[in-house]
Amino acid sequence: MTDIRKVGVIGAGVMGAGIAAHMANAGLPVVLLDVVPDGANARNVLSDTAVARLLKTNPAPLMHKRNARRIVTGNIEDDLNQLGECDWIIEAIIENLDAKRDLYARIETERKTDSIVSSNTSTIPLEKLTEDLPERFCKDFAITHFFNPPRYMRLLEIVAGPQTRPDVLQSLHSFADQTLGKSVVTCKDTPGFIANRIGILWMESAVRFAFEDGLTVEEADAVIGRPMGIPKTGVFGLMDLVGIDLQPHVAASMLATLPEKDLYRDLHQPSTFINQMIETGFTGRKGKGGFYRLNTESGKRVKESIDLETGEYHPSTPSQLESVAAGRQGLRALVNHPDKGGRYAWRVLSHTLSYAASLVPEIADTIQDVDEAMRAGYAWKWGPFELLDQLGPAWFSNRLQQEGMPVPKLVTAVGEGNFYRNQDSTLESFGHSGRYNTISRAEGVLLLSDIKREGDRIAGNSAASAWDLGDQVLCLEFHTKMNSLDAEVFKVIGEVITLIPAKGFQALVIYNEGNNFSVGVNLGQALFAANLAGWSEIGKSVKQGQDIYQALKYAPFPVVGAPSGMALGGGCEVLLHCDAIQAHAETYLGLVEVGVGLVPAWGGCKEMLLRWMNNPKHPQGPMAAVGKVFEAIGMANVSRSAEEARDLLFLRPTDNISMNRDRLLADAKAMARRLAVDYSPPTPPEIRLPGPSGRAAMTMAVRDLCKAGKATSHDQVVTSQLAYVLSGGEADPTVPVNEADVLRLERNAIMALLKTPGTLARMEHMLESGKPLRN
Amino acid sequence: MASYSAPLRDMRFVYHELFDSSDISALPGFEEATPDLIDAVLEEAAKVCENELFPINRSGDEEGCRYHQGGEVTTPSGFRECYRAYAEAGWIGLSSDPQYGGQGLPAAISTLLEEMVCSSNIAFGTYVGLSRGAYRAIAAFGNDTLKTRYLPKLTSGEWSGTMCLTEPQCGTDLGLLRTRAEPNADGSYRVTGNKIFISAGEHDLTENIIHLVLARLPDAPAGVRGISLFLVPKFLPNPDGDPGERNGVLCTALENKMGIKASATCAMSFDQATGWLIGSAHKGMQAMFVMMNDARLGVGVQGLGLSESAYQAAVEYARERLQGRSVTGTKHPDKPADPILVHPDIRRTLLTMRALTEGNRAMATWIARHLDLRERAEDETTRASANDFVQLMTPIAKAFFTDYGFDITNMGLQVYGGHGYIRENGVEQYVRDSRIAQIYEGANGVQALDLVGRKVPAHTGRYLRQFFHPVQSWIESHAFTPALQPFVMPLAKAFGRLQLATGHIAQVGLKNPNEAAAASSEYLRLFGLVALGYLWARMVEVALTHENGADQGFYDAKVATARHYMERILPQTGSLFAAIMAGASTMMDFPDEAF
Repeated sequence: MTDIRKVGVIGAGVMGAGIAAHMANAGLPVVLLDVVPDGANARNVLSDTAVARLLKTNPAPLMHKRNARRIVTGNIEDDLNQLGECDWIIEAIIENLDAKRDLYARIETERKTDSIVSSNTSTIPLEKLTEDLPERFCKDFAITHFFNPPRYMRLLEIVAGPQTRPDVLQSLHSFADQTLGKSVVTCKDTPGFIANRIGILWMESAVRFAFEDGLTVEEADAVIGRPMGIPKTGVFGLMDLVGIDLQPHVAASMLATLPEKDLYRDLHQPSTFINQMIETGFTGRKGKGGFYRLNTESGKRVKESIDLETGEYHPSTPSQLESVAAGRQGLRALVNHPDKGGRYAWRVLSHTLSYAASLVPEIADTIQDVDEAMRAGYAWKWGPFELLDQLGPAWFSNRLQQEGMPVPKLVTAVGEGNFYRNQDSTLESFGHSGRYNTISRAEGVLLLSDIKREGDRIAGNSAASAWDLGDQVLCLEFHTKMNSLDAEVFKVIGEVITLIPAKGFQALVIYNEGNNFSVGVNLGQALFAANLAGWSEIGKSVKQGQDIYQALKYAPFPVVGAPSGMALGGGCEVLLHCDAIQAHAETYLGLVEVGVGLVPAWGGCKEMLLRWMNNPKHPQGPMAAVGKVFEAIGMANVSRSAEEARDLLFLRPTDNISMNRDRLLADAKAMARRLAVDYSPPTPPEIRLPGPSGRAAMTMAVRDLCKAGKATSHDQVVTSQLAYVLSGGEADPTVPVNEADVLRLERNAIMALLKTPGTLARMEHMLESGKPLRN
Repeated sequence: MASYSAPLRDMRFVYHELFDSSDISALPGFEEATPDLIDAVLEEAAKVCENELFPINRSGDEEGCRYHQGGEVTTPSGFRECYRAYAEAGWIGLSSDPQYGGQGLPAAISTLLEEMVCSSNIAFGTYVGLSRGAYRAIAAFGNDTLKTRYLPKLTSGEWSGTMCLTEPQCGTDLGLLRTRAEPNADGSYRVTGNKIFISAGEHDLTENIIHLVLARLPDAPAGVRGISLFLVPKFLPNPDGDPGERNGVLCTALENKMGIKASATCAMSFDQATGWLIGSAHKGMQAMFVMMNDARLGVGVQGLGLSESAYQAAVEYARERLQGRSVTGTKHPDKPADPILVHPDIRRTLLTMRALTEGNRAMATWIARHLDLRERAEDETTRASANDFVQLMTPIAKAFFTDYGFDITNMGLQVYGGHGYIRENGVEQYVRDSRIAQIYEGANGVQALDLVGRKVPAHTGRYLRQFFHPVQSWIESHAFTPALQPFVMPLAKAFGRLQLATGHIAQVGLKNPNEAAAASSEYLRLFGLVALGYLWARMVEVALTHENGADQGFYDAKVATARHYMERILPQTGSLFAAIMAGASTMMDFPDEAF
């Protein structure tokens, strides 16, 4: 096994730089090399500008700006020797066989024994890359195909050649999985590997049939998007994103390498419409526009769509297709719908899914590899075989036959069954051998979805549930829409707190497998209650939240929060009350209440004060901490990674980060078990707050911002309430207050704000547009 | 024989004392609407209604409208003369834009005028009411040509208007509409189709009739998204603006109805009739909703007007009618029997009629003031908030006023006993005339659905804020005023029920729309009762400031009526609340075939 401690990346383009950044995110030193451009004085100009670009790109390739320091830049003329220290050397240069092979020869002389070399190629077969290269090289070589952007796309496709050492594969696999957090899928040396092979055909069919069936781009994307569980960019939005000019290259490369009787060859047609777009510079977001564009001529940002017949832009209008609405009842309702959207959906799905089914085992050993590739590489919610199960394989097969389309062998083989089945609480998948095989998880991977399939719910309602993770650890799961928090969730937390000691559990993990850990309070409920002037009800629910979070904090057992995705507002506050946090690297934490005209009132102000006051690295005295918290909450700072959350003290030094989403629960459980040994709850702290004089400093600062046009009039209203809470109201700095005092101030502040029209307008605007109102 | 005297004292109370009329006079364009002017206008209006409209109310009911060969319709005797006088005095354009010849007075005033008209002769009111609806739609959505050509004539009353929505197969569900419109080369359209139940569709009061017709264009999408609104005059105006060539629109029959017999309810046939588009193609429903929303408040006021007439008639009769003796001993030994006014149940009936009628008048004015604020307030926030309030309260006013309009006219008939059942005494006409108001302009069940399905959830409850916040803060600031205790406490209790019921319906309705729909009628009633409770409590607050002053009797009666409302009517909110919380299962689980 190769222990990967240092990585070299050659090629500082978008992919190479992104891969280098993610290596740095994982804590590794990286050497990033590129050529010396003709006549360049600064010989590292390419890799240097690449690193500079990494710091400016949005979404950020780096989880923390300081990670850039782990990347050492250089060029392949002067610095190739630096590769001698690298355990893994990744080639990510242009897709040119000769260039790659030349480079390999040069690498081969520099690299150390047992180091691994891989290519990030997406189009060139491994067989060609390694043809006639020395055995030593071939043994240590593989293809590692990252997806763009490497930090965010979970898929890593690995292709081994016939000579590749098993060790190499194993090292790459476990490193990518555990250290990089990737979902690794082993592929065969076939064109486009798995994800692009299917994805390219899917895009081809989705674009072609949209033209043929007379759909608008909005309609096509509405059909393709949510109903099929595909990101809402659909197909045309995705083309704009990746660059329309890429398409002819992709097509050419596929046509050059695909087997002779491949469906793609039948389906592919050069489009004069698209070629004209490319020729005139309409290449998507990076060009003058794409299938969509933002028109700012009128001073406003108007989203426009291209007319697929005339090529003219017009303001985008949401699709009115009834089939899309029908699709909420399920995929079959969508494809059965008689309107053009329904027919279009069927044409796209019938081609894409048949194609995927016909490629096992040609491109992948198992159907779950295919599904995982599409989920992790194209961000589909469901893979092709999961989609087939939704339609029903037998139904699908019947309809193909009725329409004279060939039925893939695998679909025939599965017969009346489904591709996945739940056999005695074990998940099984249908193999190309014609038998079902158990799907096993790697060691250290624990999925709540598996526990839920196997286990009984210990407690719960429609909003939250408690599950037995084994080893006396209980898991609390939110499952409301966006995992928003309401009285029903609190009811379950309350139950869990009494149930853990009563039933012999020793620790609690708060975790779920939603896209976001929690977006905080159910804003719609809160706004509705406020419009009803339901002050006493609202007051009660604020108090209920505070009580339940305090109860978690002082419970006689350890509580570990295990967030992934967004944990905002009340969703962040629950984590602040945990004994420890095991966060997925992609966790976005923030107390964003001011954006909707509120202040944190489920103990968020209180906990942040305590964290800053107890932070040994910061100056003592009440005002320093208060100022920091005022800034973080007043600016609604959100961490853009778990690592950044450390700077904001949402995470403490003792909290941990898991790179791989699938390993988060197991890591959190392990942490909970460690904490459960001789656990004793925290001691209630005393807090010294500055009182009126401290408040004046904060309100004056906001007044200045307001004068400078950097804060709005309602910002002033909200932050003055926040300042009141954080300064301790009428507190005397020499007399300590307790947690209950701060909680009371939080309640008073939020109730006062809820009665202001400015706050209600902010809440309504957020609910209706998803964006904060600057009033 | 019933009589009618306009309740001017109460109208002045509501307009000037309960609400602050100076904020309406302060709106741009209302500078001249001083208290003196308003009072003078109301007095003149009262004279017209009492002396001109009321005397032809019963005769109009007996005589009805007549259909003549060739499609002509004549109104009952006296209507033509009365209409001419009414129009010439400028009443039709009371709140219309002076630019088109209107008087430019507040909507809050014209609402009071409408009440008087409906009290004295509701059938007459339908003719002028429809002209106002047509005026508003053209003013809001018509182009300048249409406005200058039609609005002055509609304002002066020389021409009248109609709303042509209903077709034989298409009532509440306008998506089923079939009338079609085809474009002509000159930008006009040819409208063809059949409409039924068209009030004032044909008559002899005006020289021209302007029909606003819903129809489909050739390229229209199916359903309500494919409906456009057209202006189709009976006579096409000449270039000089006078009626010219007869258009292809014909009244083919008159309906024979339960009530409002002097109002011509017509079946209309449009045959290639020339018309002009109002607003944008396929956006007719939007324009229609403007008309409808205003018209709905107007229909609510019909219920209010008839309630007032019925109350006056019942009081008069209860004083005169001698039957039996008081259960506690003779009260009028000089007479052969005591007047029935001594009997508790008669008094209960009369006070119930009075409390609801005066309460509804306060609510009508409350809403109408917001029409003025919405139209003319200088800052946008006030205009937007006023619109929220009007949106919320309109379905409540329509259904609540007209349901009680029927109940109250029926109570009035009951006070008359057998004599109420006799036509010449006039009170059975009120019952018959009031009945339609529960049905047209959106049946009251549809109003309830509009409330729970659209108005309550809109913008996560934003419309509600304009009602709930003022009521809550009034309760909070008066909770400890000793003299108001008997009023604030029951209000607070009922208001709490309304808050809970609203939250409950919003929550269960989200998961199962049947739940919200099943609760909708009771919820609307609950809402109306709480709104009246608030207005009654505020009326008491005002009345109590007049202790030992002039008009003591009036203010004492206000407080006493308020007590009756709080103690005998508002508690119904308890049973309504229980019914709402019981959920939809009784009606939804019942098998269809078992009905």
